[in-house]
Amino acid sequence: MTADEHRDLVEATASAFRSVAPDGSIREAPAWHDLDEAGRIEAAALALELRKLEAALDPDGISTTARLVLARIRGEGRGG
Amino acid sequence: MIDLDDHLPAIVAGDATAFGRFVAGAETRLRQSLGSFAGVVDVEAVVQECLLRIWQVAPEVVPDGRPNALLRLSIRVARNLAIGETRRRRIDPAIVRRLEREAEGAVEPEIPDPRLREIIARCRDRLPDKPAAALAARLEGPWRADADLADELGMRPNTFLQNFTRARKLLAACLGAHGIDVAQELA
Repeated sequence: MTADEHRDLVEATASAFRSVAPDGSIREAPAWHDLDEAGRIEAAALALELRKLEAALDPDGISTTARLVLARIRGEGRGG
Repeated sequence: MIDLDDHLPAIVAGDATAFGRFVAGAETRLRQSLGSFAGVVDVEAVVQECLLRIWQVAPEVVPDGRPNALLRLSIRVARNLAIGETRRRRIDPAIVRRLEREAEGAVEPEIPDPRLREIIARCRDRLPDKPAAALAARLEGPWRADADLADELGMRPNTFLQNFTRARKLLAACLGAHGIDVAQELA
């Protein structure tokens, strides 16, 4: 794997976007599967940094993770 | 100390906005609590799964007299989800026990510094067009895959990621010029 490929995989894994499985569970990012353990740790550290940055940029102080979760909650309600 | 249980009555009543305020204070600690598992589970997926479950079980939470009962429960749920995932992946139980021991236990909420918010917003305004567009796309459309965001911006997926990386690094450099160490403030 080249350094650029590694960087792109880390950056992709650090995104909050995750697809949802038919059973409603949250799937791992496809890029996460292509990273080794060190790369996964790097991606998690970057995600922590990004979520804090996103929260600092958001008027309500919420990250993209929070926005995703809230969108799902508002779509499904409780007990859905 | 901030007590995120202040939001609990509204959350129990079904107020998703109140749950958003809880998540704003809880997410960083929740994510940090999974740090030792980061090499073996997708922390982002576990955090989202955990928050969805917490929303579902919040009406059953009985405060125990100590602050941040909901955050403490969230950390326990997240850890159990991470452990369950290691079992599914057949990770050596000895490694899992070590990861459990290393898991961080701090439960104090963390709220962004208002000064940081102001400076980051100013730094964002100074980003070049393409990195700014990649950053905005992820911020405004977190429910869409990078490939879709890239397509909408007329970029190839790897060009989109490169522009996003550039935006992140330019923001870090701008914050550094304002005396803010990204590694310390945001990690």
